[in-house]
Amino acid sequence: MTSIQKKILILTSVILAIMVTIWIALTYYNYKTQNQYNDILQRYISLNEVTSASQQVITDLNNYMLTPSSGNLRQLNLSKDKIQEAKYEIFPLRNEENDFALTNYINLIDSLLETTDRLIMFISGKDMEAAAIEFSEATRISNYIAEMKLTILDTELKTYDRFYRNIIVQSEELIKLGVWLILLITFILLFISYWFSLSITRPVYKLTQAANELSQGKFDIQIKVETNDEISFLAKTFDRMRININNLISEIKQKAQLEHELQQNKLLLQESQFRSLQSQINPHFLFNTLNTLSKKAYLEGSEETSDLLVSVASLLRYNLKRIDRAVTLAEEVAVLRQYMDIQKARFTQRLKFFIEIDESCLDLKIPALTLQPIIENAVIHAVEPKEEGGTIWFRIFNQAEWITLEIEDDGTGMPKEKIEQILNERTVQTEGHSTGIGFSNVIKRLRLFYGYEDVLMIESTEGKGTKVIIKILKKRST
Amino acid sequence: MRKTGLILLFIIFFALCYLTFVSAEGVFRSDWQAPKTIEDENAQLRLVLITQDAETTFWDNLGKGAIEQAEKEGASLEIWGSYGNNHEDFLKKLEIAIHSKVDGIIVQGLDTEEFKYLSKVKASFYGIPIITVANDVPVEESLRRTYVGSDQYKAGSMIAKQLLYDMGNSGSVLLTYNSNQEYYQKQRLNGIQDVLKNYPNIKTIYSETSSDREQIITATRDVLNKTPEVDGIIAVNANIVGALVQEISKRYQVEPYFIYSFDDGPESLTLLRQGKIDGIIEQSPEMMGKTSVQLIMEWLNGETVPLDLKGYFTDIRILKAKEVQ
Repeated sequence: MTSIQKKILILTSVILAIMVTIWIALTYYNYKTQNQYNDILQRYISLNEVTSASQQVITDLNNYMLTPSSGNLRQLNLSKDKIQEAKYEIFPLRNEENDFALTNYINLIDSLLETTDRLIMFISGKDMEAAAIEFSEATRISNYIAEMKLTILDTELKTYDRFYRNIIVQSEELIKLGVWLILLITFILLFISYWFSLSITRPVYKLTQAANELSQGKFDIQIKVETNDEISFLAKTFDRMRININNLISEIKQKAQLEHELQQNKLLLQESQFRSLQSQINPHFLFNTLNTLSKKAYLEGSEETSDLLVSVASLLRYNLKRIDRAVTLAEEVAVLRQYMDIQKARFTQRLKFFIEIDESCLDLKIPALTLQPIIENAVIHAVEPKEEGGTIWFRIFNQAEWITLEIEDDGTGMPKEKIEQILNERTVQTEGHSTGIGFSNVIKRLRLFYGYEDVLMIESTEGKGTKVIIKILKKRST
Repeated sequence: MRKTGLILLFIIFFALCYLTFVSAEGVFRSDWQAPKTIEDENAQLRLVLITQDAETTFWDNLGKGAIEQAEKEGASLEIWGSYGNNHEDFLKKLEIAIHSKVDGIIVQGLDTEEFKYLSKVKASFYGIPIITVANDVPVEESLRRTYVGSDQYKAGSMIAKQLLYDMGNSGSVLLTYNSNQEYYQKQRLNGIQDVLKNYPNIKTIYSETSSDREQIITATRDVLNKTPEVDGIIAVNANIVGALVQEISKRYQVEPYFIYSFDDGPESLTLLRQGKIDGIIEQSPEMMGKTSVQLIMEWLNGETVPLDLKGYFTDIRILKAKEVQ
């Protein structure tokens, strides 16, 4: 059974029970009172019956005396039976108060009956004189019976006086009780109904409020109804729905974000693809053009220009090809030489480049384009700013365990903070790199390639120059 | 606010509960108990005490004694009485008692033919024992079982002796009595006469009246007019004494007579207390009541059969005005 239905049923049964109880009590009370009334009335009726029966006896007796016919005798016997019956009816009426009088009453009836019998006897014996005496006695007894009845009734009235008064008082009290009872029941029922209806409407109200808030888009307020009926179930379901909606909404939001990001990424990808395509096309075109220019210069007799163009072209090729591969130190050195040829062509007398190479070390594997950016750095910092130009040394030593590569310049040097910055791989704003590869990139690649941290060191004195030392473990290369 | 409301509601609720409860108690409570019904028949012997002078001090005391004794014996006793010497009513009650077949009748003797007929014929016919009390009727005429009361002859002589003692051995004495010469009255007169006749200097005057008050007054007036030399008066019938004293008070400021009577009249004790009469014979009514019930129970239970026909005499004594005042 559902809970609200149960509640309503309980309320109804409580009301019904109260009503039934009151009804039973009042009916029982009524029944009892009615019985009492009946008893009292029956007493009076029984008592009175004797008197009227005795008078009937006297009347019949008189008739029989005047005309002693068998019909009259029968009539007389009939009334005698009747008075006997009446006598037996008053036997149970005896109580402590009226015992004496009632016994007298009964005995008087007996006396009357005896007298009547004697009278009948005398009449049948034709002794009319004796009969007359008996008749007068019977009449007297009958009168005594009537008198005794009055005495008994008097006693009854006295005995039951308080009872009668009580009945009157009780019936007055009954009306009062009715009024109080109605007031009390009204009060109780009003209270119960109020409380009961509240227990139904309060959760409904809460639910309504929650629905209202949901409709206004507040999905994060918990719906809580603490009853044990359907409303609570409804509220729980509602709450689950709220959580689900909430989850869905956040999911949608996430999806939207992802989609947005995806879109952005797609755009970026397209752009980068475009760029890479662009940057792939450009070098090849440039390379071919450079080759053509070199041949042209050679044909026109400018051999120097032709060589320079060849250097630029090969540098470009190296740059394009070997960014992610390991190369031999010899290759690196060759590229370095070409680069320096180009730089020499540019700076002429201002740039002095000294190179010392231990030939046994040239098989060493090294990440491509490691040396070129460092040299370039040196050119930018040591040669470019100074009018008189600068000197750059490049050395390769073969030591017991190490192969040491040194790039030294006599430029302005750099402060300690900057060195620190570079070694910690923080990107430094570097300008004008031809290959587009920065110092920090070089360090990063070296460290990754060789697997230890102190592969590169920088020694610098401000105003005197900078020295970059790369120490490579031999074991590694073999 | 809500708390106050709640408290108010509770107060109303409890008040209503209380009022309902009180009035329910009023409706359903019944402190009245119906008298117990009697199941077994003839549990108690039923006795009737019948008097013609109901509600006088004398008979009240007698009745009290009788009821006490009846309670002790476990018999039920009822006192029926007629007022002011109403013979007809008295006899009717006696007849009712007989027809009602009571177990025993204690009755104030009445020396009339009707009484004798009832006691002798009717009561015997139904086999109901009769005991006379206070006033006797001779057994030959009434067939009573016995008599309980004062020795009236002795009472008469006692009062005569007291008169002589107070008045002296000479003078005239007025004896007033009821013309309806009842047995007990005759006995008293006999007692008085038997004492007085020994004193030749005492002159005895007789005055007969009926029981009617007017008659008594007239008779008294007559006799006092005829014989103004009267010194002492004895009201042989105590019922006379009230009217007698009233008449004398009319004549004299200070009454010059020695007046004596008996205590079984309605006004005897009051007059004695007022000093209007000089002495009365005080009988023992309570004792009479007690003894009569006791004797009739003994007879009914077969313990004392037959009872002494002469009678059982109770104490008497002279009560003087001085003792009462």
